[in-house]
Amino acid sequence: MYPELTDEALTNLLKSDDPLALETLFDRYYKSLCQFCAVYTKDYTVAEEIIADIFIKLWDNRKESDILKIKNYLFVSARNQSINYKEKKKDPVDLVENFDLEQHLFTDKETPFRILSGRESYQRILLTIDQLPLRQREILLMSRFEHFDKQKIAEILGISVRTVETTLYQSIKQLRELLKNSSYFNSGS
Amino acid sequence: MEEQSYRLIVEYFEKTISDEGLTQLQEWIEESPEHLEQFSETIEILEASRVYFRNRDNAIQTWARVQAHIDQEEKPVIHAKRKIRWLAYAAVALLMSTFSLVFYFHKTTVPVDYAELSNPNGQHSRILLPDSSVVYLSGGSKIRYEKTFLGTKRMVYLDGEAFFDVVHQSRRPFVVKSGEITTVVLGTSFNVKAYASENKVDVTVRTGKVGVMASVAGKTQLVRYLLPDEQLKINTDNGLYTFNKADAREVSGWINNHFVFYNTPLKEIAVSLEHRYGVKIEFTDPELGESRLTAKFKNLPLKQVMEDLTTLSGLSFTQKDNHVFISNNDQKGGKIMK
Repeated sequence: MYPELTDEALTNLLKSDDPLALETLFDRYYKSLCQFCAVYTKDYTVAEEIIADIFIKLWDNRKESDILKIKNYLFVSARNQSINYKEKKKDPVDLVENFDLEQHLFTDKETPFRILSGRESYQRILLTIDQLPLRQREILLMSRFEHFDKQKIAEILGISVRTVETTLYQSIKQLRELLKNSSYFNSGS
Repeated sequence: MEEQSYRLIVEYFEKTISDEGLTQLQEWIEESPEHLEQFSETIEILEASRVYFRNRDNAIQTWARVQAHIDQEEKPVIHAKRKIRWLAYAAVALLMSTFSLVFYFHKTTVPVDYAELSNPNGQHSRILLPDSSVVYLSGGSKIRYEKTFLGTKRMVYLDGEAFFDVVHQSRRPFVVKSGEITTVVLGTSFNVKAYASENKVDVTVRTGKVGVMASVAGKTQLVRYLLPDEQLKINTDNGLYTFNKADAREVSGWINNHFVFYNTPLKEIAVSLEHRYGVKIEFTDPELGESRLTAKFKNLPLKQVMEDLTTLSGLSFTQKDNHVFISNNDQKGGKIMK
């Protein structure tokens, strides 16, 4: 692989049929893309399938595609695919309220996630995050991804940086209210 | 003002807050208990949303799907495909479970599934293990590991060279077995070079502490512990080993395509290059491989590397497809090969 190459260089190599360039991109963005997709699908397995399809498509269209910013391309397709998936599914079982936290959990007991999410307070917050309106939810979660900043979120969602900021603050405020109503913050923790 | 306070708290959480902002935030928090409450709740929310997706991913399996697609689309690609085989050792594990108390390395009673990955010469790969440890696997190397590290140890089998960056788990040691040599760590990063064909194992530590054990006549014993920038070279034919200081960053430089050789026989350099560039390097006279060189190559094409090497050693080379021949300058004048 070529971990030292820039996205632009990799995009060019990809056009000249180099599978290692694709693999490097995969390696570079896989984790973030999965997290990103899971914001919408709420299912990591589905997210991983979507990402595989995106890379397959990218490979198939490597000649035709005139991609300037591969990172944006990947995340925008990931978002579209995830939303399509949700639209197609529209399964009542998939409603926000029925979101199964277990699928976010490791079987491994010693991971930080397990330790943190094992705390009741975090579980409550995590479950309540899923009750937020989509826009607030996506911005709150995305703003916590590694290598993701306000500008990146604004570019991918096609909104202004300013809107990203205000939505983020609204989401926190909203979440606090939701938690307060369910008497979480008052329960002395 | 409310929005401004959220902005400051988020900046504080992201560690991007200015000194001025920090003072402002402190003053604001002290203003009222409600402000303090808003502060701590916001921090808690931000922390929780950060762990929302700490999920174990199956990057290797997902990539295998993409790779399968690429392979099926174009058959004549030179890049050999990556092999992934899942081996189920159900029968073995079942038998083992009977003796589970006796077997140190196999305490688990569930059948152990192994993942196996190999690189042809000329290809590197980065592998994410089930415990989030990272392995950089060099060319011409093969690794096998338990698909789920559920036992008391995280077992990895290596033939070839790899750099390990191991996630710390105090109760579950990470064990790299390469033939008779076993390297045991809790959480650290280190390089193991153990091509079965070379009858020697080099272990170099970059961070943390590593125990190297050798199995002699069926008994495993500790050879010694290694600390950062210490290196152990073991000849697996006769069990002799040397211990020395080495720059671990340089030893593991191959993961970034950097090669550093200190006073190394040309034939050893050639083997490293074979793994890296996927070529076969031959000496017209085996004697030529004995000369020792010191050289650094940072991400250079093979041709450049060969030119530098042969200039340094006063030799010359010719390349025919995937074969490189290193010969004496004198012989070149004869033009035996056309």
